[in-house]
Amino acid sequence: MARSGFCDSKPLLDLHKKADERRAPLRSWTNVCGSVDRCQPVEVEESRTAPVRVEPERRWERRLSTQTAEGIIMGFHEDGRTCKAGYGCMETPVLLYPHGLQGLNNLHALVPSLLRHEVQMALEKLDLIWDGTYAWDMFLYMMRSQIRNTFPNADLPRHFTDATRAVLVDWIIQVHELLQFHEETLYLAIHLLNRSLRQLKVTTANLQLLGMVCLFVASKKVESLLPEVSGLLSLMDHTYTKHQLLRMERKVLCVLNFDLSYCPPLYFLLLFASVARSSAAVEWMARYLLELSLLESQCVVFLPVQLAGAALCLARQVLQECPTAEGEAAWCLASSIHVGSEPTLLRIMHILASAAAKASSRETCASFIKFSSPETLQVSRHPGLNNAAGLLGGCS
Amino acid sequence: MANCAGVQYEPVAEIGGGAYGTVYKARDTESGKFVALKNVRVQTDQNGLPVSTVREVALLKRMEQFDHPNVVRLMDVCATQRSDQETKVTLVFEHVDQDLKTYLEKAPAPGLSADCIKDLMRQLLSGLAFLHSNHVMHRDLKPENILVTSQGQVKLADFGLAKIYSCHMALTPVVVTLWYRPPEVLLQSSYATPVDIWSTGCIFAEMFRRKPLFCGESEMDQLGKIFEVIGLPPQEEWPTDVTVQRKNFPSLKPRPVKDFVPEINEQGAKLLMQMLTFDPLKRISALNALEHPYFQDEETKS
Repeated sequence: MARSGFCDSKPLLDLHKKADERRAPLRSWTNVCGSVDRCQPVEVEESRTAPVRVEPERRWERRLSTQTAEGIIMGFHEDGRTCKAGYGCMETPVLLYPHGLQGLNNLHALVPSLLRHEVQMALEKLDLIWDGTYAWDMFLYMMRSQIRNTFPNADLPRHFTDATRAVLVDWIIQVHELLQFHEETLYLAIHLLNRSLRQLKVTTANLQLLGMVCLFVASKKVESLLPEVSGLLSLMDHTYTKHQLLRMERKVLCVLNFDLSYCPPLYFLLLFASVARSSAAVEWMARYLLELSLLESQCVVFLPVQLAGAALCLARQVLQECPTAEGEAAWCLASSIHVGSEPTLLRIMHILASAAAKASSRETCASFIKFSSPETLQVSRHPGLNNAAGLLGGCS
Repeated sequence: MANCAGVQYEPVAEIGGGAYGTVYKARDTESGKFVALKNVRVQTDQNGLPVSTVREVALLKRMEQFDHPNVVRLMDVCATQRSDQETKVTLVFEHVDQDLKTYLEKAPAPGLSADCIKDLMRQLLSGLAFLHSNHVMHRDLKPENILVTSQGQVKLADFGLAKIYSCHMALTPVVVTLWYRPPEVLLQSSYATPVDIWSTGCIFAEMFRRKPLFCGESEMDQLGKIFEVIGLPPQEEWPTDVTVQRKNFPSLKPRPVKDFVPEINEQGAKLLMQMLTFDPLKRISALNALEHPYFQDEETKS
């Protein structure tokens, strides 16, 4: 995974200061709620079996798109047939269907060698595989395994609102940037946070600690250079002791059962952007939009591949680059990968568009600032984002 | 009483004191099912659990997703602090009552049938191929940690533990059996997944013989016994990064397989010799072993 270039030089952030600002609300909860740590495992169990979203009345079929109309959303068209009752109504795209090996074999024959070749090239470019022979298997594995990475609902534990979650995530984004971690560490950290929140009972006083520990554990999985615990403690203004942090680490690892495997939406985004020959501007824009999805708790119900696909589609629509024949052909090829149903993608695009429209004015603006640097082509300041939702038409 | 992610485990008996700590048979107080508890003590410094432990356990958890039939299930993991310097990681595995050692001992008089051995070997190798394709080596494969269920299903246990412990455990003076160790480990040369294939070869022969193939009493004795069977390897195959000299061993010719495993068929003998190859790079891989003609012919002459 390439290190994101914007980490190194940033004229924009006085992160210490910002971290302080962000911490204020967290600390005020601390005061309100006292510092009793009563973490207990709760019965809420992350469902591993039912994340495939039900989209009644629709059935989607793979299509190798030959048209290049604006409205193509990653290459799936509604097939008109109403589905059979009951089980058949599940939106179970062949590629995503975990046990659909037969389907996979059929696909094998269908998928043009061109796409397989492009996927291989992309995975190699992203340094996700060493041996190109296994590229397609790897890709199928990514598609299948991500199903475990969604949540059946966006519910948060009591006394924990979407806004507080967003403040916490925003703070993690800042710490992550300050520590110059890889981007995938951020996605993993937020994923671990989402899981921990559903399984651990954490007092508001310890939310910040939990967020930091999730980032710490993620860095242990991903990074080669690790931060010192003492440094992390000072980033939290010594609100917590080393003992507390290490205890939280054990608690988090236990409740997650040491299961740290995760295929971040970022991988899918970079993969699609590579296959689609997206311009640097589109790719940065999509990365920005994708990062905004971390702040939206409602996004946890979507598959990583859907978030990535929606971010890339929206980025294209916002930037409205002049189409070239080659670019359109590459986009068609990328669109032939099934990422999800049209309504699902549209819903995500709406969420991201409205998040981007108000990103600059919100309190949680770490991503906005991060992506306004010249290294990231200042995508977050693009005027098209102010009315991105308007591009998508009326439905919501 | 151990508590792991909210589940209580009640120890029933100590079932092993391997190199890496004690193993307990325990009962899940909720479901009443038996599990095997393995406690690993890892050194912790101010930065919490070591990265290697976090990654290795996470890898074992990830492999769980694949639900391979020939690998024991890892049901639960938890970490508890013992002191400032030490954290106990408890791995909760499914419990299988019988290992290959007792299975071989219990087999009635002429021993296992050739078909039964072939079936066990196929399962063993497919479990091993799965581990190796996930970059996990067992490193301590022996009949005691190959489990056989009452339905005859082979399940590998204790894999991947070596790495979790290695860097962080104070070496305890436990007696670890040498009998299944490959030459490169005995010579303290570098090693990788082929170590497990050597051990598998030893176990393959043992299934026919119903007694171990090489029973050395020291590293040198073990090497001597190995060369009595496979012959002294040529100088060019002798690893260069070791202190033990080739000339310390008598020059010996390899013996025919039938001399020490008389019941084995021709293809089996060929496969066995490819597993007991001195040079780890020339040793057959688990995946290739599964493709070997030995497994192709249905009819086995015993």
